[in-house]
Amino acid sequence: MSLTARRSPTPRGLRRRRLRGQIGWTLSGLSVLLVAFPLIDLLAVIVEKGLRALSPTLFTQVTNGISGGLWNAIQGTLLLVVGALVFAVPIGVLSGIYVAEWPRSRFAGLVRFVADVMTGIPSVVLGYFGYITMVIGLGWQFSLLAGAITLALMVIPYIARTTELAMLNIGHDIREAGSALGLSQGTVIFRVVLPGALSGVLSGIMLAVAISVGETAPLIYTAGWSNYAWNGSLVHAPVGYLTYVIWTFINQPFASAHALAFAAALLVIALVLLVNAITRTLLQRR
Amino acid sequence: MLAPSAPAIPADGIQLDRGALSAQHLQVFYGRKQALFDVDIDLTPHTVNALIGPSGCGKTTFLRAINRLHDLTPEARVEGKILLDGIDIYDRSIDPVDLRRRVGMVFQKPNPFPTMSVVDNVTAGLRLTGVRHRGKLQEAAERALVQAALWDEVKDRLRQPALRLSGGQQQRLCIARALAVEPEVLLMDEPTSALDPQSTARIEDLLGSLKQQVTVIIVTHNMQQAARISDTTAFFLAGSLVELGPTDAIFTNPSDPRTEAYVTGRFG
Ligand SMILES: Nc1ncnc2c1ncn2[C@@H]1O[C@H](COP(=O)(O)OP(=O)(O)OP(=O)(O)O)[C@@H](O)[C@H]1O
Ligand SMILES: [Mg+2]
Repeated sequence: MSLTARRSPTPRGLRRRRLRGQIGWTLSGLSVLLVAFPLIDLLAVIVEKGLRALSPTLFTQVTNGISGGLWNAIQGTLLLVVGALVFAVPIGVLSGIYVAEWPRSRFAGLVRFVADVMTGIPSVVLGYFGYITMVIGLGWQFSLLAGAITLALMVIPYIARTTELAMLNIGHDIREAGSALGLSQGTVIFRVVLPGALSGVLSGIMLAVAISVGETAPLIYTAGWSNYAWNGSLVHAPVGYLTYVIWTFINQPFASAHALAFAAALLVIALVLLVNAITRTLLQRR
Repeated sequence: MLAPSAPAIPADGIQLDRGALSAQHLQVFYGRKQALFDVDIDLTPHTVNALIGPSGCGKTTFLRAINRLHDLTPEARVEGKILLDGIDIYDRSIDPVDLRRRVGMVFQKPNPFPTMSVVDNVTAGLRLTGVRHRGKLQEAAERALVQAALWDEVKDRLRQPALRLSGGQQQRLCIARALAVEPEVLLMDEPTSALDPQSTARIEDLLGSLKQQVTVIIVTHNMQQAARISDTTAFFLAGSLVELGPTDAIFTNPSDPRTEAYVTGRFG
């Protein structure tokens, strides 16, 4: 009793502490603004100019030189993302599970090493790697497959890592409960632990989607660019994508090119936000 | 041990000769550290057997040897024999996964599968090993929940997430989950230590009827509980079995002075 009474601050000390707290909050609020302002400004410009450039024909017409629509790029981005997921999800999720369940195995060490190296590689270098091995080496030329696999290489480490963390998040007691019930190790992993880790795994996949939608560098040397809608072939045919429009058209001295670039930027942001929203609702439903 | 085991009477599908358990020269090591020393024990089918002893004396270690859960701990090593219905469970021909269907386990902390509903938890041991028949699953779920004295409380919320049940209900759910696969032996590691007195009483009440189906081995730190619920009591000390006998004898007239000291609360 007497101890706490002596320790409790006098009214004056209390006031000083409150004042100090207020100054601290004001300062940190200001620094947040300082960092956030350029970002908000950028977003505002994109939304404003993007909205002005938005029209139904963007979704129906293909790019014609530096004008026309964006259908080829929208379709290409979706195809590249789906294509990347086809490779990245099984490989990423399975390696994540493996590393989580057999952390001391040699293969897990290898996976961790490769993932660390790969996350450290700049995406341009990955793109160049894809160019040498697939576009030239395998003779696929600029193509959907080369672009999708390069994107997959980039996002596999993220999917693997989030899967690993999500699996490790499920307690040892749950695994033991499953084993003690007479379930095989595979059943415990895939039917008991994985369902519990699913929301984490899904958020990793959504992160991969967001990254894939927003990347340019790995695609320049692998997917190329095309003014036409997809012709159905996986190789020997370049594909368009939204970030290419942003990256090149903004440098053209024409208003129509700028309009397309801002519209593409708006679409990319909208896609990423949409993916985020989907992830959040998926996570909340659990 | 106690009465010689009765002849098999297949009444209500209950086999009275299932669930005979004995350990011979059982030793368990964690790395270099030995946790169980030369344990010999013989348990009669359809009895409740209490394991008592101070913390760290090897009670959990003994239980985990019976369902070969030590197989999953890389540093653990088991020597000696454990006979279930006369067959050594450590024999090469025995698949530990099959064995664990015959030897159920209930842990100290309730551990229902978090993503599953109440009923899916109960039937997990059947569903996830290939039983598809809906009617069979439903029947098994109801039977196990009734046996675990949980049916009345959950019959209207079978599809709800298991984690919405109270701690005591979750523990009975885990008992139901273990019973649904119809084991011969049920291992319980301090199943009531995390529960309130009422939930504890309900689980204690269960044990009397459970032993018609299974041989129960229950670890407890509560002497009154051991005295109330068990037919036989085994006292462990520092990794060795000190004494095994009818529960009244252990509590009123133990033959080993260390047992007497422990049950009268003079040490441990
Ligand atoms: N995984 C392990 N690695 C190393 N030593 C262990 C391991 N598990 C248990 N031990 C040791 O083995 C001995 C017996 O442990 P055990 O868990 O069987 O005791 P217990 O009788 O169940 O105790 P409690 O009443 O506290 O639960 C203890 O000395 C413990 O420290
Ligand atoms: Mg223990």
